[in-house]
Amino acid sequence: MPTNKLNYPTYDLRKVTGPNQLQNFWRMISGWHWHYVGATFFAALGALARTGMNLFLAYFIDEVLIKRQFGGKLLLAILAYLGVVILQALSSFMSGKFSAQTAEGSTRRMRDYLFNHIQRLSYAYHSESKTGDLLERATSDVDTLRRFFADQAIGIGRIVLIFIINFVAIYNMNARLAWISVIILPVILVVSIFFFKSISKAYSAYQDQEAVLTTNLQENLSGVRVVKAFARQDYEIKKFDSNNLEKLKRGRKLNIMHSFFWPSSDLICGAQMLASGYLAATMVMDGQLTLGQFVAFLGLLGWLIWPIRNLGRLIVDTSRATVSLKRITDIIKEKEEDLVTTELPACIQINGDISFDHVNFEYEKNHPVLNDVSFECKAGQVIALLGSTGSGKTSLVNLLPRFYDVTSGRILLDGHDLREYSRDCLRSQIGIIEQEPFLFSCSIRDNITYGVHREVTQAEVEEVAAEAAIDDVIKGFSKGYDTLVGERGVTLSGGQKQRVAIARTLLINPRVLILDDSTSSVDMETEAQIRSALENLMQARTTFIIAHRIQSIMSADIILVFDKGQIVQRGTHESLLKEDGIYRNIYDIQTRIDSAVQEEINSVSDS
Amino acid sequence: MSQTHDDEEELSDDVSNTKAVFARLYGVLKPHWKTMLSAMVSIALVAFSDALFTLIQRTTIDQAILANDRGVLRQMYIYYGIIIIAQAVFVFGFVYLVGLQGERIRYDLRKMMFNHLQKLSLSYYSKTPLGWIMSRVTSDSEKMGDLLTWGILDTTWAAVNIVTAAIFMLFIQWQLALIVIASLPLMLYVAIKFRKRIYYHYRLSRKANSRMTANMNENITGVRIVKALRREEKNLDNFKILSTDMFKSSYRAAYLSALFMPTIQTISAISLGFVLWSGGNMVNNSFISIGSLQAFISFIMMILWPIQDIARVYAEMQNALASSERIFSLLDTQPAISNREQTLAINSIRGEVVFEHVSFHYENDETQVIKDLSFNIAQGQNIALVGSTGGGKTTIVNLLCRFYEPTSGEILIGGKNYLDYKLEDIQSRIGVVLQTPHLFSGTVMDNIRYGKLEASDEQVQEAAKLAGAHEFIMSFEKGYGQNVGEGGNLLSVGQKQLISIARALLADPDIFIMDEATSSVDTLTEALIQKGMHRLMSGRTSFIIAHRLSTIKGADKIFVIDDGRIAEAGNHDTLMKNKGHYYRLYTQQFRHDLESELDPFAELELNKADGAA
Repeated sequence: MPTNKLNYPTYDLRKVTGPNQLQNFWRMISGWHWHYVGATFFAALGALARTGMNLFLAYFIDEVLIKRQFGGKLLLAILAYLGVVILQALSSFMSGKFSAQTAEGSTRRMRDYLFNHIQRLSYAYHSESKTGDLLERATSDVDTLRRFFADQAIGIGRIVLIFIINFVAIYNMNARLAWISVIILPVILVVSIFFFKSISKAYSAYQDQEAVLTTNLQENLSGVRVVKAFARQDYEIKKFDSNNLEKLKRGRKLNIMHSFFWPSSDLICGAQMLASGYLAATMVMDGQLTLGQFVAFLGLLGWLIWPIRNLGRLIVDTSRATVSLKRITDIIKEKEEDLVTTELPACIQINGDISFDHVNFEYEKNHPVLNDVSFECKAGQVIALLGSTGSGKTSLVNLLPRFYDVTSGRILLDGHDLREYSRDCLRSQIGIIEQEPFLFSCSIRDNITYGVHREVTQAEVEEVAAEAAIDDVIKGFSKGYDTLVGERGVTLSGGQKQRVAIARTLLINPRVLILDDSTSSVDMETEAQIRSALENLMQARTTFIIAHRIQSIMSADIILVFDKGQIVQRGTHESLLKEDGIYRNIYDIQTRIDSAVQEEINSVSDS
Repeated sequence: MSQTHDDEEELSDDVSNTKAVFARLYGVLKPHWKTMLSAMVSIALVAFSDALFTLIQRTTIDQAILANDRGVLRQMYIYYGIIIIAQAVFVFGFVYLVGLQGERIRYDLRKMMFNHLQKLSLSYYSKTPLGWIMSRVTSDSEKMGDLLTWGILDTTWAAVNIVTAAIFMLFIQWQLALIVIASLPLMLYVAIKFRKRIYYHYRLSRKANSRMTANMNENITGVRIVKALRREEKNLDNFKILSTDMFKSSYRAAYLSALFMPTIQTISAISLGFVLWSGGNMVNNSFISIGSLQAFISFIMMILWPIQDIARVYAEMQNALASSERIFSLLDTQPAISNREQTLAINSIRGEVVFEHVSFHYENDETQVIKDLSFNIAQGQNIALVGSTGGGKTTIVNLLCRFYEPTSGEILIGGKNYLDYKLEDIQSRIGVVLQTPHLFSGTVMDNIRYGKLEASDEQVQEAAKLAGAHEFIMSFEKGYGQNVGEGGNLLSVGQKQLISIARALLADPDIFIMDEATSSVDTLTEALIQKGMHRLMSGRTSFIIAHRLSTIKGADKIFVIDDGRIAEAGNHDTLMKNKGHYYRLYTQQFRHDLESELDPFAELELNKADGAA
């Protein structure tokens, strides 16, 4: 099975994780290299054409106007001029188009790649990383790179090209004039880099305050009942106002920086225009320059000086792109889970005989979570796992779909080592009901069919929903099975979610079932419904129950009592009752509860 | 008020009454008119200076260089220098003024909206998604602020630029000027068309982006299920549809942007060609000087940017107007509950609480949530409300707090209809502890003091001691100065509850209302909460939405609420003997409690759950 079905020539982005950042940037746009070369080429051609327009002007003035050459020559000159303009326009368009193709295309590939890569990273990776951070990298860092390819990289190239071409053009007119005209450039470049660096600091202070203000607003809105209950509206208004005012202040600080930078850089550039212009004018009078050249020079000079201000901004932005690239490649470097490798000829139908053979497991070296666990069960049996939090129950069931692999020992499924099965094959035949089931924000129907990779009829969906005791509830919604779950749809209660998850698992029809039996968060009536739904689900399936209460244990075929990663007691309900140990304690408690309830009832009746 | 809360609204630009919106925008702008006018004058002078540069150059060519007159040249370059300096001053002026103006207007808008929101009733909050309100205050205020500052300023700059250029050209050579002016509407039309398309695709891409992000978020949050159900392939396919949407719209926007300026340039070049052709012939006949022709070329180049600016402002304006209209609609919303015209001044709401045939339904839903409810509670009685979720317990409490008012019937406190009192008087004298306690970012001290703002540190500590919160607070590194995190999420549920009890104790209310938590907290905290509750209940009329058996048993009166009515009422013993609804509820809960209490593993699990919450 192909793991990567992207619509365009696949490229393994792991190649962008090398030590050379420049090379990584280049590889990031592999597949669009020619587009990018094209974008640069047309940027250069555009700059040339623009310079050509100015040189044309010189020719027009010197050769046509001053020499009073009209008629054919004038027309020719104008047509040539139009030609150059159209060339320039076309180049600018082509350059923009090619860089957009590169930036948008490579970004889309990067997004798809990251989406796929992240969902295929190991269970262990996801347990340790924060959703917000991953999301931030896959969205805003990617966007920073997109802007880098769309604007900054090509922008820097364009400005440098324009500068070189215009400089050469001026240099050809008069070398001295050319050198004098760039005196100011280092100054303006340094000033603008300095400015854009400090403004990005002030800007992030402004953004921080924006975040404070948003939090304040959100807390106020979500705590509206508390605000009203204490009649604290005036206090809230004052608090918000002081945060609001702080934002105003930071905004003004930012504003003052802008208000000084733009006019002062205007002055610096203006001084250069003034000095060079005056010098050039005297040169014309001295006969060193023609009038046409003078006019052309003024145009060229503008293109030499003003873009440098932007160069400062682009350079500062580029440093951001480098940081983002690093943050993205950090994820890309992580290894994906291998879903398909198998040592078996094909994905065979699981029967459900499972045996643990001296299984040890640890997340970190020398911190065993499971310690020499051995047991066997037959297909269709119910295995109850009992123990306190951290005793190893959850780690044990996580081994079955190979979310993790054993550290030593082995697990046999139908006589084959679990590691011979591909993860994909295992997971297709193992059903999991979590303690707090996760539903996706699509319709209820789509949620129920989420785990099966085939077309499912409505009748089938309704059948499993009925078995999961949720059909009635769903039909009670105005949109029935098309009801959206989550943010923009109906909020399902904990018990309803659990039953949807049961329906989802029923449809998969797995051979092995993992069940986190916690119904503590739902009320009594719902609990009974869930229980009967679960009993339907467990029929003829090897079931592992992480048990929290006695009812679900009593009927189990095998009961394993865990403590600190080891099995401390094993047997059936009957056999364990005969032993001294945790299990009997639990059972005794149950009997005590029954009598306590009776006593409580009697206490009222007697009084 | 008809609002669509669907996020699709962001794409619709329909402004129902543009004129009215403009009138109100003017109202927002009015207090700042001096700043705005100064900014507009400054930017107009900047545009004017640009035109002057061109004129200076014309004179330089014609009267200095061609006439070989160094005196005139020096003079011209002195003017040039003066205008550069003057222009820098004007640039400073408009950048500073418009920035200041923008910050002020946004500040005003946020303030107005926030203050207004404080007045709105709970019914508004229950029917309006939080995100909707948030984006009015945050993003819409930005858009409206931009329109009222840069929108106006850019338009001014562009208009002055185009008009000055046109006038100067007319003065220099009117026939040539007409050629240029004739091409202006065409350029403007094309530019606006372009800009609108670009903006449209840009917004599509922003929408696509938020869908894509939501999808990715969900896939990461639910990654365990994705793996277990082997959805990787399908989810990637789904995601690709979204990322392709994003690609299409943002590429489209970039493509049109790339095409935009070249198109305008080509149009202007054609008119420039005409100018050169006729101008060249005119020079021949000495109708126009070389300097003037050069000035013409400069002017034509100069009007390219203003045209694209006007087009941009115009394209974005519709959207900004839609933002403004949403802001105004928020500001126009009337609070559903407000003080009656005549109110009684009171110092306390102690006394009998009576519900007389109270019924209630929500505004947009005719289904009765509370049906003809009547009861009376003597001062100081403790009432436990029990019953299944959705039965109406919370609504009764909300009515009592006057978060909502009865649709029929009366609620009397101390013998008077409570509608005669001031809202603030009622609400400030009712202490409420919610099921999921809401804390505000800040310190523990700040949060307790919320109950009584003028309380001294000692009084706050006293309240915390009474609530049983003092000990765990002192165990914090910074004690009462400890930060509780956003919404209090650095604390456990139990801790938050204790702090909210301390807060209520400090407020010393006349009536106490509590919604007991269903979620489990560790035994010690539970005992502390119970103790704190009893302190609050003693001597006060109290209503507890009860889940704990001890609370229920200890109540003076128990109301079993079902389907908006009182199904059963009485004390524990009588209700148990009835063997009805209450009997079933109680025995089930009793068994449930014992099971979790006696489970040898439970202690550990609960501690963990509490710590993780």
